[in-house]
Amino acid sequence: MGIGGFSLSNLSIEAKVGVFVIIGMIILGYMSMRLGKLGFKMDQGFEVKVYFDSASGLEEDVSVEIAGVEVGRVSKILLEDGKALVILRIDSNVKLRKDVKALIKSRGILGDKYVVLIQGSPAAPLIEPNGRIISTTTATDLESLMNVLGDVAKDISRLTQSFANVMGGEKGEASLRSIIDSMKAVAETLNRTVQENNKGLVKIITNLSEFSATINEISSKINKGEGSIGKLINEEDTVKRLNGTLASLKEITEKINRGEGSLGKLINEEETVENINSTLTSINDYMQKQESFRTYLDYRGEYLFDSEEVKSYLTLRIQPREDKYYLLQIVDDPSGVESETDITTTTNGVTTTEHIEKNEKNKIKFSAQIAKRYYDLGLRGGIFESTGGFAFDYYLFKDRLTLSLEAFDFDSDSNAHLKFKADFTPFKHLYITSGFDDFISDKGNESFFIGAGINFLDDDLKTLLSNLPF
Amino acid sequence: MIKLIKISKSFNSQKVLDELDLNIDPEKITVIIGQSGGGKSVLLKHIIGLIRPDSGQIIIDKIDITNLNDKKLNEVRKKFGMLFQDAALFDSMTVGENVAFPLNEHTRLSRKEINKIVNEKLNLVGLENVIHKMPSELSGGMRKRVGLARAIALDPKIVLFDEPTTGLDPIMRESVDELIVATQKRTKATFVIISHDIESTFTIAHKVAMLYQGKIVAVGTPDEIRSSNNSFVKRFIRDLRI
Amino acid sequence: MIRFLEFAGRPLVFFIEECGRIMLLLLSTISWMFRPPFRFRVIFKQMEFVGVNSVGVVLITGAFTGMVLALQTYHGFKMFGGESLVGSTLALAMTRELGPVFTALMVTGRVGSAMAAELGTMKVTEQIDALNTMSVNPIQYLVMPRIIAAILMLPVLTIISDFVGIVGGYFVGVNLLKINSGIFIAKIIDIVDLDDIFNGLIKAAFFGLILSLVGCYKGIYTIGGAEGVGRATTQSVVLSSILIFISDYFLTAVMF
Ligand SMILES: Nc1ncnc2c1ncn2[C@@H]1O[C@H](COP(=O)(O)OP(=O)(O)OP(=O)(O)O)[C@@H](O)[C@H]1O
Ligand SMILES: [Mg+2]
Repeated sequence: MGIGGFSLSNLSIEAKVGVFVIIGMIILGYMSMRLGKLGFKMDQGFEVKVYFDSASGLEEDVSVEIAGVEVGRVSKILLEDGKALVILRIDSNVKLRKDVKALIKSRGILGDKYVVLIQGSPAAPLIEPNGRIISTTTATDLESLMNVLGDVAKDISRLTQSFANVMGGEKGEASLRSIIDSMKAVAETLNRTVQENNKGLVKIITNLSEFSATINEISSKINKGEGSIGKLINEEDTVKRLNGTLASLKEITEKINRGEGSLGKLINEEETVENINSTLTSINDYMQKQESFRTYLDYRGEYLFDSEEVKSYLTLRIQPREDKYYLLQIVDDPSGVESETDITTTTNGVTTTEHIEKNEKNKIKFSAQIAKRYYDLGLRGGIFESTGGFAFDYYLFKDRLTLSLEAFDFDSDSNAHLKFKADFTPFKHLYITSGFDDFISDKGNESFFIGAGINFLDDDLKTLLSNLPF
Repeated sequence: MIKLIKISKSFNSQKVLDELDLNIDPEKITVIIGQSGGGKSVLLKHIIGLIRPDSGQIIIDKIDITNLNDKKLNEVRKKFGMLFQDAALFDSMTVGENVAFPLNEHTRLSRKEINKIVNEKLNLVGLENVIHKMPSELSGGMRKRVGLARAIALDPKIVLFDEPTTGLDPIMRESVDELIVATQKRTKATFVIISHDIESTFTIAHKVAMLYQGKIVAVGTPDEIRSSNNSFVKRFIRDLRI
Repeated sequence: MIRFLEFAGRPLVFFIEECGRIMLLLLSTISWMFRPPFRFRVIFKQMEFVGVNSVGVVLITGAFTGMVLALQTYHGFKMFGGESLVGSTLALAMTRELGPVFTALMVTGRVGSAMAAELGTMKVTEQIDALNTMSVNPIQYLVMPRIIAAILMLPVLTIISDFVGIVGGYFVGVNLLKINSGIFIAKIIDIVDLDDIFNGLIKAAFFGLILSLVGCYKGIYTIGGAEGVGRATTQSVVLSSILIFISDYFLTAVMF
């Protein structure tokens, strides 16, 4: 493994790994730069907008070209008013005129779409940044047009070819003549047919004119009030009766307005209004109480890495107001509690008693806490895992993320139990949690944990409890 | 110091330890004797928490280690040194690195100081000249002695030896016995030794425990064991004497 | 019927248990990662073993993969006159798939198996127990450095493989098959994105996790002496390779 008298095995492990990693980075850097997408371009350029009927096939970050030279990239494709709004980022040293034309073209056999700009006249004013390119053509139209044109051209050329074949030579001339002859015959026949049917045609036309005359007559009769329909529409009586109905309707509404009649009274009475109003308020209040009063049932499990066991919490959270709640909790702690017991053993007739530190597993603990919230900060106090304690909660991202610091078990002969946790709720009812439990433990209890929980509002419980005074 | 209370352990359906009770006195040498395959090594691994019992309690220095989690167990184990029956040297490391391993892990000594201790310990087991060899280049007896040096490198409070003299020649056996006695005297540690060598057992032990059919059938000073009228103990001593 | 269920159910139960144990091993590895002592030297040693010492294998496989790919695609593309696409096809295939996957497979064979064998031997000769008796957690001391090293080194090996693969393909395409060198490179630059490379490297890191985790898992759960070590080694290679292919599919589906 000698390279120029220098043996690789002389290098320290760190140096070897370092050289290796650096070689990797250099290759990565080289490839990135060649691909040109991580260049050191500080030039941000400017943006212009352009609306296309369709941006089908166009992708973000494809190139924008003028005369085959890349002058920028497509930075965004959006939908606006049913049109595709394409935002182009153009290098700042490129000048675009107001009458520049934009079109989407496809390239190569892969058919990748890109944007082509066709510069306008040098006399036109410049487009300023964030301006708009007005003139566009969509590639698909152009393409299909080109396709159709191509087909048409092919057909035409085929046609002319066969024409040439047909016309060429005496044979062709003869057949042409016969065609013309037969055409003449057809025209003559047509003429004859028309003449023979002349009378019938005239009859049809007179019928038509008679019909229109009749219609004319009927409509004029209606106008004059003659006939049954005419009478109905023109009768004065009808109009009078209609008027009467309208008048009585008007009378009724006026009566109601004045508070006359039972309905009117009901509607116009002050008391009624008050009654209704107060009813509405009380309903409102009730609804509001219902609204903010919540009861949550929550289960969470935390996997403690150190003891490799799961600590479970079953919580009932009663929340009478938005900023206040009570919490009752049962904790199943697998790491248990340290206890001191005396063990008495008898060996060879001699009884000895010893004081032993013991680890009781799966101990059930209880918590009962009161919590109050001020804006994004929550304070909690009470019983934490069967000992006194308090906690801070900090709510972030619309309460989706909660950071908590709990302190409890202020035993005089050991450090307090401090716990930090972060709860994240990606979906309703479900959350994940992670943190450090007992992180200043002097008994080696500190442990990183991750876990998950599920909580739900108990609707039945809610209605039942909202009627109790809190 | 070390207390085993009603320890039972079965592998599959084979009962190896059966409600075994044993008290090991602090700062003394206790030798455990018993049949091959009788469960002595299993018993020793219970004491250091490598095997957990099916039932019963193990108490080390007033701490019940039966249900302790790995991290707390590691704290307790810092008091221990152990020589495995097959030495269990790390075969990716040299002899010197093996002996230095516990020192590197649990002390803040400088490299020089560590080297000094390593040389000293290897000297004690008569192996100062193999410090740069790999374990695979050593004989079985040499490996065992390196394991011994590693077990006592930190001068731990409790040292467990699984057959420290098996596979050694008589002279080396004697010197290892002397080393054990001297080290124990110096460090005042608790030694638990498994041995098949009944003669050396009686010279080095403060206390002898006899394991038979999953139970400790006799405990006592060498003299008490010698005069025991337990039939198995008698047979065992007689057979090994020959 | 019950006997059939037993017959069919046992491998399934075994498989589920195995997945569970692998996940638990991963979790405890993560938890030991954040706890002192931090043995950087041990990690560096593994990085040397996984990374530096695998360079030769990766260079050879990478280069020949690129070369054979150039040869094959050339004949395919030639049929419709698309020889100019050889470079970009090659580069895309190397960066997205062949670089990460072939590197991972080679490293599985070289390193994953060695991890299983080494830890397996340590297990059956009680060296792992010995670590425990010296208050050194075997997961922290043995498993965690190997996993970190593999996660860090696989991307580096992969970028090297990508590069030599493309260079090898260039050599075959331009020097032997006479594709125009300008077009060869221009097409690569045109079509390959930086994301293709990076996603390939992310894959590689993931494969590194898989092969080291499986290797360590098979190692520390070895039972049954030398034969057990042999079995653990074989199983680790087979299981890692399968998991690499399966996860490759899903990673590709997610990324590209
Ligand atoms: N991990 C294990 N799995 C299954 N069986 C085991 C295991 N370890 C020990 N045994 C069984 O337990 C019994 C006791 O073994 P142990 O190694 O303790 O014997 P020993 O008394 O040390 O014997 P020796 O003096 O030969 O070393 C043996 O029958 C052995 O088969
Ligand atoms: Mg044994």
